[in-house]
Formats: sequence, structure tokens, C-alpha cells
Amino acid sequence: MMSDHRRLHPAAIIFNFIKTLRESLFLIIITFISFKDDYLGWYLLGVGVILILIIVFSILSWYRYTYRIEDNELRIEYGIFIRKKRYISKNRIQSIDLTAGVLHRIFKLVKVEIETASSGSGAEASLKAVSLKDGEALRNELKNVKQVDDSAGENLEEELQNEIPVISQKITVKRLFLAGTTSGSIGVIAAIAAVGFSELEQFIPDDFYDETLELIVSLSIVILIVLGIMGLLILWVLGIAGTMIKYGNFTISRNEEELLITRGLLEKKQLTIPLKRIQAIGVEESIIRQPFGYVSVFAEVAGGSIDKGEELSTVLFPIMKANEVEDFLQKFLPEFITERQELNKLPKRSKKYYLVRSVLPFIVMLAGVGFFIPQFIWIPIVLLIGSMYLGILRQKDAGYRIDDKLLTIRYRMLSKVTMVMHHKRIQSFNRKQHKLHKKEKLATIRLSIIGIMGAGKHFTLKELDEEDSNSVSSWYSYRE
Amino acid sequence: MRQPPSNTIALDAIKAWRISAILSEAIAWVITITLFVLAVIFDFSIWIPIVAAIISLLTTIIFVFILPKLRWRRWRYEVFEQEIYIQHGIFIVSRTLVPMIRVQHVDTKQGPILKKYQLASVTISTAATTHEIPALLEEDASELRDRISALARVDEDDV
Repeated sequence: MMSDHRRLHPAAIIFNFIKTLRESLFLIIITFISFKDDYLGWYLLGVGVILILIIVFSILSWYRYTYRIEDNELRIEYGIFIRKKRYISKNRIQSIDLTAGVLHRIFKLVKVEIETASSGSGAEASLKAVSLKDGEALRNELKNVKQVDDSAGENLEEELQNEIPVISQKITVKRLFLAGTTSGSIGVIAAIAAVGFSELEQFIPDDFYDETLELIVSLSIVILIVLGIMGLLILWVLGIAGTMIKYGNFTISRNEEELLITRGLLEKKQLTIPLKRIQAIGVEESIIRQPFGYVSVFAEVAGGSIDKGEELSTVLFPIMKANEVEDFLQKFLPEFITERQELNKLPKRSKKYYLVRSVLPFIVMLAGVGFFIPQFIWIPIVLLIGSMYLGILRQKDAGYRIDDKLLTIRYRMLSKVTMVMHHKRIQSFNRKQHKLHKKEKLATIRLSIIGIMGAGKHFTLKELDEEDSNSVSSWYSYRE
Repeated sequence: MRQPPSNTIALDAIKAWRISAILSEAIAWVITITLFVLAVIFDFSIWIPIVAAIISLLTTIIFVFILPKLRWRRWRYEVFEQEIYIQHGIFIVSRTLVPMIRVQHVDTKQGPILKKYQLASVTISTAATTHEIPALLEEDASELRDRISALARVDEDDV
């Protein structure tokens, strides 16, 4: 029975403490630097008092935080001085996610995040630490709306789970490794490393620089290049590790009404995605993976919240061969299957618009660099050629297709993305045409679906044949 | 989508747009005049305020005298039982379809300029987008708002 007031696991105190400490760490360091010479004693005393206060508050906030299930509602009461109560009706709950970070896993705990359809940024209710058993029980009970008796309901649930064969798919270690090697996060890590270095710089003693400089000057250029390549390699390996930690043990399974995703090597995350909240399914072929024939599959899910470090779209499977997508969709999302390869392409006359659009910024850059620093003129020239190729690819890859109630569109920014969406998920249709377009019988169309946090997500297909734009609009229109 | 929508917005929209354009152009003229004064006081090149004046003049002609009329001519809307059809845009003609069952809510809005001409604008929101029909006659706007909200009250399938 869950109707009594329950508290989180006492480990929540530690989590509260760490969180508050992390938030005030910056302040502590700053004050340390400014007071360390003259008032060290007072400073330590102050920090001590603050630490004790944080501990007291952590304990109090744990003590005052209770949750219970009553009258088909999850009722949370919290707050030390100002008591806050939040009641969430079972019927309104959209998804319940269980996450276990490294610390959680030591104590066999999970964080339970409960989301409704409201458009806030975070989860509506977040129980920081409950035991794994309680977390799963809580989830089962909240999901079970028409339940009469608790114990009977649980048995029923177990029986059901035994009867229905759960469809699931797990990522292999080899694939995961491949996903890491082609993740393309190398650039991001390089940027972080650069920033990190510039932060570190102030702690490195000056003579270290002089000595290193002498050393580097004495080295030949070959060794410098080797060093550079090794640096990149390390970054690459870090990228692989990052992907493997994030998507390790990635498993997706489906039951009647939802998709269930479990992932993460260190932090274990369990996501539930109700099928009826899926707005569109996308297949992405990133520019690195495309030559190897690998893609990733993702979903646009309405009303979700964004955690730190999460992408805007929900990854349904991090990596698979392009020809496995069909089977995957057949297994998990048969309602989204279309002939993705057979698209209506753009007319040839649209090519010039695509070229001009992608080349223009680099022509400006070429002029700028050519004027101010002509010795670096090769950089914009290389970029210009690259962008030209990209423009041609963009035009060649774009297309759409209509199957009954499904619309498939494909476009490329850097990665080639194919989106499949249902007629009833499209919120509005827009067609744009300027004078030149009109003369050449071209039109740009834009489709909007619900994105994350209640904001819209828009898909644009530029310079479609006018006739094609008309056929999409009459497909979309409810008028006869 | 082949045929443009049938209804035009209120003719007074042109006047209302002109007034708001004049208000923003006034800022450009204040800057221009300030530049003239500064040029006289501090004795820098008279060409700077002259260029500013030319720019102000051109933008005034374009935004106050030319664009409102063109904009009005392009602005069309039509409300069907199942969807709303909107067209606007002078150089880039944009046509939008919003199905009734996707409409979340409808608002009417009226600022001081629109009020002077007894006009109001209607804003239609879906879960992903918002669309505005500017400057309708007050009674038309509230009638349209009521009509859309009545039509939008179709049984919503799950979101």
C-alpha cells in the first residue's frame, strides 16, 4: 500500500548536500582567493558554519519531503519553511522516467521523474532518490489507472508481462564502438579541450613555458605533426568513450502503448515514450556515417522536458545499417513505414538557388580574407568548394513522398535527415513563393509539428516544383 | 492552394499601418536632425547628416507611402469549416493552412492605433505555431474569433 506518507531514501540527504555544495562552490573558491591572506581563520570559520547550515538544510528538506498515492493522485509535500503541495492526477501523467547515476547505483537507488503534458522545462515531479524496488513499484502503480486492488493489480501486471512477448533490441558492443568512432563529437571535445586549457593556463608556472618552448623549437616539424595527430587521437578516443558511456547497454523495447529505452554505462537511464506522443520519426545519416552506410533513428516527442546534455530529439537507436531500418521500424513502429528511398525529387531548376544559398557566405568571406589577409586565401577557397558540393548534395537529397496518411520528407543541412510524420500530427502547412520562384514555378513549403517544451518544430523543403507543393497542400487540406 | 483566399482585411488597416510606420520613422528623423545639429556645433562633415536625411527620406517613402498599400492588397484570409487559409507577404507570398482541429485557442487584440480606427487583430494558435490576421473591423474580429473557436471545438484526438 502506498497511501501512507513516504520519504525518499536517506541518501537523498547526500544528494541534496552535494547539489547545494556544488552550487556554492564557486562562491567558496572566490572568497577563498580574496580572503586567504588576511582573514584565513575567519574564512575557515565562515565556511564551517556554511557547511553545517547546508547539512542541516539537506536533512530538513529530506525530512519534510513526503510523497504518497491517494485518490488516484500522486501527492508530494515539501518545503522547509514554506510548505508546498503538488498533486498530480494519474490520468495526466505522460511518462515516468527512472534514472540511476553513479552514486545512485552504489546504493541501488533510482531517480523518478514524472512528466505531464504541461510545457515547463523540467519534469513536473522529481523524486531524487528512492530504492529501485520502490521506484518500479511506484511506476507500476502510477501507470495503472483503473486499478481496484493493489496486490491483485501487481499480480495481473506480472502475468501480463509473462504472456506478452516483449519486443526488444539491444545494441552490440561492436556497433556501440562504431557509433563512438563516427560520433563526430570530436570537434566539440576539441573546443572543450581548448577552453579547458586556457583556464588551466594560469596555473602553469612561467618557466614551464620557456622550457617547453625551447624544447619545441629544438624538435623537428615532423615530431610536432606527430604530437598534433596524437592529440586528435586522444580526443577521438575520448569521443568514443563518451558515446559508450552514454549509450552503453542501449536497449529499446515496446509494449502495447509505449516504447521503453534503457541506456547508459555509468548513469543508467530508463525512458518511457508513450506512442501517442510521438509526432514524427527521423532517420539521420550524418556526413561521417553516410559513407559507411550507417544511420541513427530518432523520434520527435511532444511535451518532453530537456535534461542537461540531452539532444532535442529522442534517440530510438544510436546506430544501425541503413538497410536495417526497415526491420527496426517493422518491429517497433510499424505505423511509420514508408518507401523512404522512392522520393519525389526537386526539379533541376532549383539547383541554382541551393548553390547560391550555400556558397554566398563563403564568397563574402573570400572577399574579406582576400582583402585583409591574402596569405590565408586558401582557407575560404577550400570552404567555398566544400560548400558548393554541399549545396549540390542538399538539392539532390531533398524530396518528399505521400503514402495515404503519412508524409515523408528528406532534407540535408550537414547530415541527411528523413522525417516521417502522420497527417494528424502536422499542426499547420505553409507555402512561400517569391517573384522569381513564381516565374519558375517553384515554391517552398514548411510543415510544423509539436516539438519539445511545447514549442513548434518546423520542417522546410525549399524550391519544390509548384505542382508538388500543391499536391502536398491538397493532401494536407481538409477541404474536398 | 491554387486560388488565393477570398476575404480582404479592413481598408483602414492601411491607415493604421501608416501611423505606426510614421511613428517609427519619427525616430529616424529625430536622429537625422540631431546629426545636423551636432554637425553644426562640432563642425564635422555635413555629408553624414545629409546621408542620414536621404536614408530617412527613402525609408519614409517606402514604409509610409508604398508598403502599407501593397501589404493590404496581398493580405487575404478565408475561414472554412475545416480549416483556416491565410495569405500575406509582399515580395514573398506566404500561404498557410491551419486545420480547425489543430487550433488551440483564438485571441483578439487591439492596440491604441487599431482602436482609433475601431480595428482589432485575431491571433490563432496551434500547439506549434501562431498566426495573426491583423486589422479586421472590431465586430468582424470578434465574430471571427467566436466562429473559429466554435468550429475548433471538434473532438480532439490525443496530443
